[in-house]
Amino acid sequence: MSLRSARVLRVSAEEWRALVRNRVAMIASLTLAALSVTSAILGMEQRNATEAARARYQATADEAFDAQPDRHPHRMVHYGQFVFRPLSALAFFDPGVDGFTGNTVFLEGHRQNSANFSEARQSSLLLRFGQLTPAFVLQTLAPLLIIFLAFGAIAREREQGTLRLLLAQGLRPSELAAGKLLAHAGVVAAVAAPALLVLAIAALAGWAPPVPSLLMVSGYLVYLTIWAVAALFVSLLVRRARDALLILVAAWMGGVILAPRILPEIAVARIPTPTRIETDVAIHRELKQIGDSHNPDDPYFSEFKAKTLARYGVEKVEELPVQWAGLVGMEGERLTSGLFDRYAREAFAREAEQNRLVRQFGVLSPLIAVRQLSMSLAATDTESHQDFLEQVEQHRYRFVQALNLMQVMKIPNRNAGEDPRISADHWKTLPSFTYRAPDVLQLASERIRANLLVLVCWLAVFLVGCGLAARRLEEAAR
Amino acid sequence: MSAWKADFRLLFRAPLSVGALLLLFILSALSVAAGLAATARQEAVIDRVEAAQRMDLASVAKDHGKPDGNAGSAAYYTFHLTSDPPSPLAFAALGQRDVQPYVLRVRLLGLQSQLYESETLNPELALPGAFDFAFVLIYLAPLIIIALMHDLVSGEREAGRLRLLVSLPASGRGVWMRRSALRYLLVLGALLVPFVIGAALTRAPVAGTFAIALATALYVAFWLGLALRVTTWGRSSAANGAALVGCWIVLTLLAPALANAVISRAIPVAKGIDLTLAQRELVHRAWDIPKEETFRPFFAKHPEWRDTPPVPGRFHWKWYYAMHEVGDDGVATEVTEYRRSLTAREVWTARLGWFLPAAAVQTILHRTADSDLWAHLAYQRSIEQFHTRLRDFYYPYMFHERPFQMADFEQMPRYQPRPSSASLPMSPMVGLLVLAALVSGAAVTGVRTLSSSAARE
Repeated sequence: MSLRSARVLRVSAEEWRALVRNRVAMIASLTLAALSVTSAILGMEQRNATEAARARYQATADEAFDAQPDRHPHRMVHYGQFVFRPLSALAFFDPGVDGFTGNTVFLEGHRQNSANFSEARQSSLLLRFGQLTPAFVLQTLAPLLIIFLAFGAIAREREQGTLRLLLAQGLRPSELAAGKLLAHAGVVAAVAAPALLVLAIAALAGWAPPVPSLLMVSGYLVYLTIWAVAALFVSLLVRRARDALLILVAAWMGGVILAPRILPEIAVARIPTPTRIETDVAIHRELKQIGDSHNPDDPYFSEFKAKTLARYGVEKVEELPVQWAGLVGMEGERLTSGLFDRYAREAFAREAEQNRLVRQFGVLSPLIAVRQLSMSLAATDTESHQDFLEQVEQHRYRFVQALNLMQVMKIPNRNAGEDPRISADHWKTLPSFTYRAPDVLQLASERIRANLLVLVCWLAVFLVGCGLAARRLEEAAR
Repeated sequence: MSAWKADFRLLFRAPLSVGALLLLFILSALSVAAGLAATARQEAVIDRVEAAQRMDLASVAKDHGKPDGNAGSAAYYTFHLTSDPPSPLAFAALGQRDVQPYVLRVRLLGLQSQLYESETLNPELALPGAFDFAFVLIYLAPLIIIALMHDLVSGEREAGRLRLLVSLPASGRGVWMRRSALRYLLVLGALLVPFVIGAALTRAPVAGTFAIALATALYVAFWLGLALRVTTWGRSSAANGAALVGCWIVLTLLAPALANAVISRAIPVAKGIDLTLAQRELVHRAWDIPKEETFRPFFAKHPEWRDTPPVPGRFHWKWYYAMHEVGDDGVATEVTEYRRSLTAREVWTARLGWFLPAAAVQTILHRTADSDLWAHLAYQRSIEQFHTRLRDFYYPYMFHERPFQMADFEQMPRYQPRPSSASLPMSPMVGLLVLAALVSGAAVTGVRTLSSSAARE
């Protein structure tokens, strides 16, 4: 047994020696290492700057809110609040969809506004060439380097005639394959090391969440190992090294460049999305069907009136101890928000369905699986953004209703005067938005597990493939 | 002529070459089909929104088109639809149309708080970018050229035919030129035939179609020249392939991503948020200050309303809309600044075209297809002009206290889609021309030295 592992180690060491001697390979590897470190440092700097800017804007907007003068509470409902989405710690590694979602939302009564000012809408089309981040380097460029380092592992030996020689000397094909595998697993570790080291340091320094960081490291290692094992598998199968390279580069092109672009087209064509305007019109129409608070004969609001009068034990709205207009406002906001929630849930469900369609093809392209995994762990995926929007909407509702309640309680029901106002002190009692960063391990547990599983399956399939190909080699050698 | 025919046959006997060309043709055709489907989808969305809008407008007109109807509340509840239909060439380069809204409703209220509203969009689908002709041309065509060209010379050497070929009396460098030209024409054909069919289907303007075809021809010439230059170096086919793929990574993935990082850092655009915040302060402050303070700048701009009756009491619609207009005017400098930083990003991207062929093609295609940030800014400006027309329409009712009736809903201004802002960007085209010429020149020199050095061997 020890003889066997000694042989495996020997093969592996030889492969490493050959790689180190290859000048082009060394230059490419060093370039990639420099790129991952640079992109990580730039990403960290960029993330911190963005985060600081958003925090500054949030503080300014909150101060401006608290500094408003005495007013009618409903004026403050329309003055509204601005909310900025804080950036997750791991966004420096993988900014995910952050550049494509807006990061600020304006909250006001009766309306649910969109998140505006996304980077993609304000950048030239260069952004579509990809963002230079560690995630981009590891997902897109590193596989290509690994292919170039590994495609000839067996095929070259075969072409140069050394394969026959090695086998004749008693080296078993399975030992040869295992040795090459070991060598290229080492290559993967070396290629990924700089970026993953940055990640590990960030986690150890308490700067990034440790468990997601660790899972991210494992995810990328599995992803890159898939490429190495796939390269070895192809190298075992084909006759010429050139063919192996061609097949692998084509696979890279299809899986990394082509598939991620074609699949969204299919998803959008199959599952159409209504526009904001259509949604707004539909909400407006449904609201009108529920009732019209200005119409004295409206069935819904007459019933609301009857119930309210009964609750306070009075005959007419003028006799209510609280402000009737405010009560109607609160009821109206409750109704609109209920509709907003329903339409938002439908929109999220549709997005989820579109994304599911694309993600299913993670089975065809491990890039899709690793990209999803990485975004989920970095809290920069669609679901994290939706989680933010949900929190924002909940806050909007609470904030608007708190102001409406002030109107109900503080503005006299009768003879309120020409311009009724309440003290500015009230604005400070309203909570400002505090974002509860989601625990990705809870929010995305299912997706994390599914994507890791997909990646591990890919790896397992290629490992088994290598085993079978090695056995075939054995039979051929016999 | 027979030499051409022979090379043609030779090329088509190699399964790799036939496969690569066929693949390029299929990809190009698919991308044109996908682009046409995408623009058709956008047009269908515009139709759908128009239908929804008609219904909404009818219900608003029913509620507010009373004999004693008030223009102020009619203006408050009436949304006006604007749309930006895709240009005939948008199918080839969809550009930013997937992230920028191409339908937007505006009211008479302050425009700056309505202009940046974004559309429902699934960010995960937008993230990788569209699969359109621009993508096939910029990313995939170079790879096909690399596959076709990387062993043009080295393959002959490896097969032991190089010396023979070079020593043929009639050939010299002619054989490489002929073979390169043949591949050039075939690649160009595979790319352009589907594109031209697509352009014919959408009745695209000839000048724009020609500009895109020219950019395609120059970009393909650049990559073919680069490949020919590398293949004459005298290394093995594998080394040539690796070197060319390296060039491809740097020129289409790495350098543009790096350039984008530099540009977005050098030209920050946070001013968009600044102007929104500033506009809100201006509008809401108006509730706490005397109405004359709001009317002063308003009347300075609109002297025609100066002598209308003063606003009594707490609220009057004409004061309300004056306050919104003054709010918009108050942030005019911020708006200019914001647009300036956005256009600066575009300008620098266009300048990159002098060094990066991919950036040049990107700029040319999207400018010609009118689907870039410039196009969106033109759309925003046309909304702005429309908004001014809305003010001109509503103000007489409010300031003359005229009732706003059912018939007046018919008179409302309708938004007409803006004229195309497409242009032929000269600077990136010249940049691309220079790059293609330089590389092709280097390739010709490479072929020449190859022939003479091989002849001396």
